[in-house]
Amino acid sequence: MGYGYAGKILRLNLSNRSVSTIDTAQYEEWVGGHGLGSAIFWDLCQDKTVSGFDPRNVITIMAGPMAGTLAPGSTRCEMQGIGPQGYPIEWFTRSSFGGRFAPQLKYAGWDGVVIEGKADAPVWINVINDHVTIEDARGLWGLGTRKTQEEIWARVTGNRLNDWQAVGDAYTTQKPAVLCIGQAGEHLSRIATVMHDGGFAAGQGGFGGAWGAKNLKAISVRGTGGIKVADSKALIDTWLWHKTNFQFNVDNPRNEAPIVNFTDYWIINQSPGAVPIAPIWEPCRPKGCQGCPVACSRRMASGLANEAHCFTTNWPYLGIIPPGTQPTWMTPGEWAGGLAEPTDIHGLAKARYRTTDLLNDYGINVYDVFFADVYFYILFLMDAIGPGKAINCDLPFDKWGTEEYKAAYLKMIAYREGVGDDLAEGLERAAERWGRRKDDLESGLLPYPHWGYSEHNDPRAGVDQEYATILGDRDSNDHSFDLPTHGIPRVASISKTEPVISAERLVGILSQKVLPLQGDPLMFDYSDAGLYSASRAKTIAWGRRYARFWKDSVGYCDLLWPNFFNANAPDFSGYTPEGEARFFNAVTGKNISFVDGMEIGRRTWNLDRAVWVLQGRHRDMEVFAPYVYQVPSTRINHFPVYENGQWRYANVAGRALDKDRFEEWKAKYYELEGWDKITGWPTRSTLEPLGLGKVADELQRRGKLGG
Amino acid sequence: MAEVGTAEKRPFTAPLSEGYLVVDRKKCSGCMSCMLACSLVHEGKTDLSLSRIQIVQNPWGCFPEDIALAICRQCVNPKCVEACPTEALHVDAANGNTRTVDGSLCDGCQVCIDACPYKPSRMIWHHEKGVAVKCDLCGRAPHWIEKGGPKGKQACVEICPMRAIKLVKEAPEQEGDAGYEVNLRNEHWGWLGFPTD
Repeated sequence: MGYGYAGKILRLNLSNRSVSTIDTAQYEEWVGGHGLGSAIFWDLCQDKTVSGFDPRNVITIMAGPMAGTLAPGSTRCEMQGIGPQGYPIEWFTRSSFGGRFAPQLKYAGWDGVVIEGKADAPVWINVINDHVTIEDARGLWGLGTRKTQEEIWARVTGNRLNDWQAVGDAYTTQKPAVLCIGQAGEHLSRIATVMHDGGFAAGQGGFGGAWGAKNLKAISVRGTGGIKVADSKALIDTWLWHKTNFQFNVDNPRNEAPIVNFTDYWIINQSPGAVPIAPIWEPCRPKGCQGCPVACSRRMASGLANEAHCFTTNWPYLGIIPPGTQPTWMTPGEWAGGLAEPTDIHGLAKARYRTTDLLNDYGINVYDVFFADVYFYILFLMDAIGPGKAINCDLPFDKWGTEEYKAAYLKMIAYREGVGDDLAEGLERAAERWGRRKDDLESGLLPYPHWGYSEHNDPRAGVDQEYATILGDRDSNDHSFDLPTHGIPRVASISKTEPVISAERLVGILSQKVLPLQGDPLMFDYSDAGLYSASRAKTIAWGRRYARFWKDSVGYCDLLWPNFFNANAPDFSGYTPEGEARFFNAVTGKNISFVDGMEIGRRTWNLDRAVWVLQGRHRDMEVFAPYVYQVPSTRINHFPVYENGQWRYANVAGRALDKDRFEEWKAKYYELEGWDKITGWPTRSTLEPLGLGKVADELQRRGKLGG
Repeated sequence: MAEVGTAEKRPFTAPLSEGYLVVDRKKCSGCMSCMLACSLVHEGKTDLSLSRIQIVQNPWGCFPEDIALAICRQCVNPKCVEACPTEALHVDAANGNTRTVDGSLCDGCQVCIDACPYKPSRMIWHHEKGVAVKCDLCGRAPHWIEKGGPKGKQACVEICPMRAIKLVKEAPEQEGDAGYEVNLRNEHWGWLGFPTD
């Protein structure tokens, strides 16, 4: 196997406790990460219609060729399989996480792990280089994710931390990298995460529950090998090119926030330590995943909420800051921009951090509990929830928003106590149990537009993430486009400054960089007309191809890649599309172009589509919840719009999607992808040129090949 | 007071190194890019076990104690050089007096690893070659296109995205962390909300 690879994949069957290997070279055409996972899932999961909790579900955990080398933000690890969170069908899905698991896995000599079957008792997997054992996890079952990891570190290292430890004839100072579930996963929650280190999570999809169903508590990896790269000089040169031209210079920034401690400004200049989003209230450092120059998370003087990010650190704000009774979410940036500080800011911050840690310790997907938290409070105001009410629940609603309330709420979900048993099913399934789902999806009280996943952006405003989700399997959680198009005007409005770049210049940069679909600025028009255009079909197609290859398969992080706009560059022009292939080729010695990668991404997207078709996907299902078409959005959302021959940033709040026009748009999109416009199924003429003839054969056997 | 007939042991002395790496532990982001770069320029591959600089950290540790940066100090009185029975460990006059291992003379006894007074030991065991290796300030890094050594560039310094590693010419204090742990943060770091003290 070539440069950038360990050369083999670990295959574990928990039912018969067998350990075997797959030669990575067998799947080399898929490159790594997601592509590897999809191809292996296709081959090994015999019945793709089973539940995520079924022992026949195959879970893959795949590193990419860049992990553990030296390319910025390239250490993502991809988990795939049938995800219990999906609704009404548990789609084959994915989640990825950062940290240092993927590098350690490769240093141990493995490009990935495949998990099949179900153990007859709780187990954990101990990987020390080539030595793999399936260990008894009865002593770990019931522990949170932190204690689980600390216990495994102690067992593997003999408690000899922070010094050289012998591993065979080699030594390492590094702790094993552990991936594990908490109590939520053990209780088969559909919104359970798989956690690594302090705050790195495979969050969406419900993989924690899928692990729990397999009786799998943890995988620990420890490696003392290395990864050979094809051209170390070119790799370092490319890093220095990136550092010099594109990275935020912490000693002398080219572009600095207009306000002190204004973390939202990260969107503009990629400054470190900002993705917990809240301003910095206590001494801390930025913390980076292995090999990442941005270092988006933090480690705190209190040791609380270490390595946590984004919604896990921000959901605890809800109801705490500013203290009040309205379930609104005041962004920290708005707050930093001049709102009065609460009297006990540090006490409140610590309460928030503790809540974050509790969430990650149980291993619960914050995205679902955030929306459920708001939903509960509204139901409380409507007198629909409480002791003896329609939804019988004894949570202390008079303390809603406090740490005490949140702790009770999380515990209830983690252990499936009371209505926590419903919430552990994910909010959409819970609402169905309570007889509320249909009405609340009509009114928008339940903001779950697609597949059992909440909104990420507003599906009526910056539609890219939501369109990608309805055409896919889960919250696409892809910030390729919205970081620049929405982030730049948003930061300007919070800080009451002019946008750092005009809408016209911004869409100019974006449209130049989206190879091979470049040259069409209307791909980034968020006016009403822009939502249903042929250009929008290209936007979504580009995003899916890019994500499937450069991000999910190669392992580039969504935070750094793609990079269209870059405030650290004199002309604001980022390192996409040059950086992707430069780093990749330096590591692997291959000579692929950016567009070659996009084509592999298209191939992988089609393979995934075929799995969903086998699971029951049809065009008629790819419809948003009714409120998306009936209820205008209220959130302020600025995006570039092209109207009357002019580009400008405009607030696009106040509109709903037009259902008929969206259906027409879908036909445009299917046509672009080469899928059947009636069914949404891939056709043989699309699949065969992609080398997916056997996939077409299988679809045909099942009567599901597009015509 | 020494007994009659015995000689007091004098500290082992060696010509001073012309360069020293110092670090700002509060500025480090724990990304380990320095370790990747170090092993790349010395070994042509990324390998944490073979990196001459080691970072150990605790995900749940309290800042700044959550991270320790283990860099070779190019000691004024290098115990590793003193302990080496084969003279493989020597003061490399051709490379600014860095304390360096001549792999052809090293017999793999590992005495130097134990002799280094710091934890984790700054002497690295190269398990593939069966020899000890250590930081040479990139003076003899075969995969480093730049001129290394005290008068040149070091991969860890160049790569560090937080600019938390620096080369200085004067020997820092040789007791404890004084002089080797420095403050490399300016007002721009503070503007982000991070501590500058």
